[in-house]
Amino acid sequence: MSNSSSRVASGPSIRWSRYRYPDTLLRYAAWLCSFVFLVYCVEYLNIPLDRLLGVFGRMGDILANRYYPPDIEYIMDREYLGYVVETIQMAYLGALFGIILTLPLGWFAAYNMTPSRRFVYPIARLVTMSCRAVHEMIWAILFVSILGYGMLAGVLALTLFCTGFAGKLLAEEIEAIDMGPVEAMRSTGANLFQTMIFGVFPQIRVAFTGIAIYTWDVAFRAATVVGFFGAGGMGWYLKRNVLQIETERVAAILISILILVMISETVSAWARSKAMKMK
Amino acid sequence: MSEQPPTALTITTDIILERRRKSSNIRLCIYLVLFVLVAWSVQVTIIEDTDWERMGSLGSVLESANRFLGIDFALFKDLLEPTIETFMIACLGTLLGVIICIPAAWFGAVNITPFKPITYPLARFMMTISRSIHEIVWALFFVAVVGLGALPGIFAIAVRSVGFIAKMSAEAIEDIDPGPVEAIRSVGGNNLQVLIYAILPQIMPQVLGVIIFEWEINIRRSAILGLVGAGGLGLVFFRQMNTFNYHGVMTVIIAILGLILLGEAFSHWVRRKLI
Repeated sequence: MSNSSSRVASGPSIRWSRYRYPDTLLRYAAWLCSFVFLVYCVEYLNIPLDRLLGVFGRMGDILANRYYPPDIEYIMDREYLGYVVETIQMAYLGALFGIILTLPLGWFAAYNMTPSRRFVYPIARLVTMSCRAVHEMIWAILFVSILGYGMLAGVLALTLFCTGFAGKLLAEEIEAIDMGPVEAMRSTGANLFQTMIFGVFPQIRVAFTGIAIYTWDVAFRAATVVGFFGAGGMGWYLKRNVLQIETERVAAILISILILVMISETVSAWARSKAMKMK
Repeated sequence: MSEQPPTALTITTDIILERRRKSSNIRLCIYLVLFVLVAWSVQVTIIEDTDWERMGSLGSVLESANRFLGIDFALFKDLLEPTIETFMIACLGTLLGVIICIPAAWFGAVNITPFKPITYPLARFMMTISRSIHEIVWALFFVAVVGLGALPGIFAIAVRSVGFIAKMSAEAIEDIDPGPVEAIRSVGGNNLQVLIYAILPQIMPQVLGVIIFEWEINIRRSAILGLVGAGGLGLVFFRQMNTFNYHGVMTVIIAILGLILLGEAFSHWVRRKLI
């Protein structure tokens, strides 16, 4: 940061410090400002600080009394397992369509490779950003209200979610490539597609596989609750039991989600390490 | 892949060709399986499960999508307060999440975890739970525990962001340079001093970047927590949706987008400043 430590101490009272005078003041000011802002937040949101301590006791109480013996039989039911399979399929399709959409979008949204920096680049950036900015739940609600209940709405919501997620990662990956091969291709007169396929794609192939697997993992986590607003899958079970205050069944469903996510995380980590090795 | 790598003498064209043929066969099989899976999923989720009759033709779908196009200007004055609320919930939630993260990251890093057989799996389990349960479910749980309002939203966001921040911080701690740690130890520093003077300065820039990234995501999350009763923009969205005021729905979405854009610009600026 600063080189104050290299100064020779002129008196016995000088202490070493990492930041010099105006910096220290600015840092204090920043800390003070954020502290005041946080206090103001608590004030503005009317957070009952006196109730805060009792919360943890109550949380333990509720967990022990209402959620404790999870209704395992309920999640072993054939019908429920069918919904689990549907959730997995939904996530799979959503991630697949999202990744297919991502391929052109990531290309257009990468600053160094985009066909036109004036028009295509900002549009592609805007599309990926708005896909990412709007939460998958909101997408699900909108699609359910347009297309009706069912898994199609869920698949489309997940598709947009994955597009936003993978599009950003892919664009960043393309922006980080070595431009040498691209220049070489361009100088031999290759067109846009040829540079993309032979100059860029070999460089991002491994990273792209990793992104695709990771996207599937994330999509699965989102898919477990997309059904909450009627977009198919096990989310609907969750909502029904929450509304009926069947807390023991809710606990069982949460446990099943947890197990499934752990499995999918392990599989995705294994597949990603495998893909990295294929380099 | 797993077989012993042959020495230079044994590699011949035949072996290479054989191996290529084998791997292309395997690849073909994988593609075939993937294709069958896709076809099956499409069959189950899209063709069978959709009520095509009710949806009608493409025209009627476009018509129902068209309802959303438009802005309800009357809603603007009611949007300011929920927007600020959403922003504040995200800030406080991230702060609380960071506080919970400190023990989680400490226990979850292999090289500094206090008692490996117990604390390490415990921390990893915490991270997995936090990441695998969706924020909507967390919010439902906390609404049941502490009642309606901003507090369950803050808790939900805090718990949800622990997983990511703690995982990234633990990985940062595992990657540190052990030199400073040994240096502090060798001059007689205890564990706490090692933590403060050797580990924290090394991981700080990385962890701050992660926190700001998570804060940006948390703004997006806090915008929907109102759907299950935790205040903010989501509540307005829910009300507009239930009263079938589609232009109002669009207005709320635009407000969310604006807020997220601001957050993204800010986080971009701060992260560039940090690096």
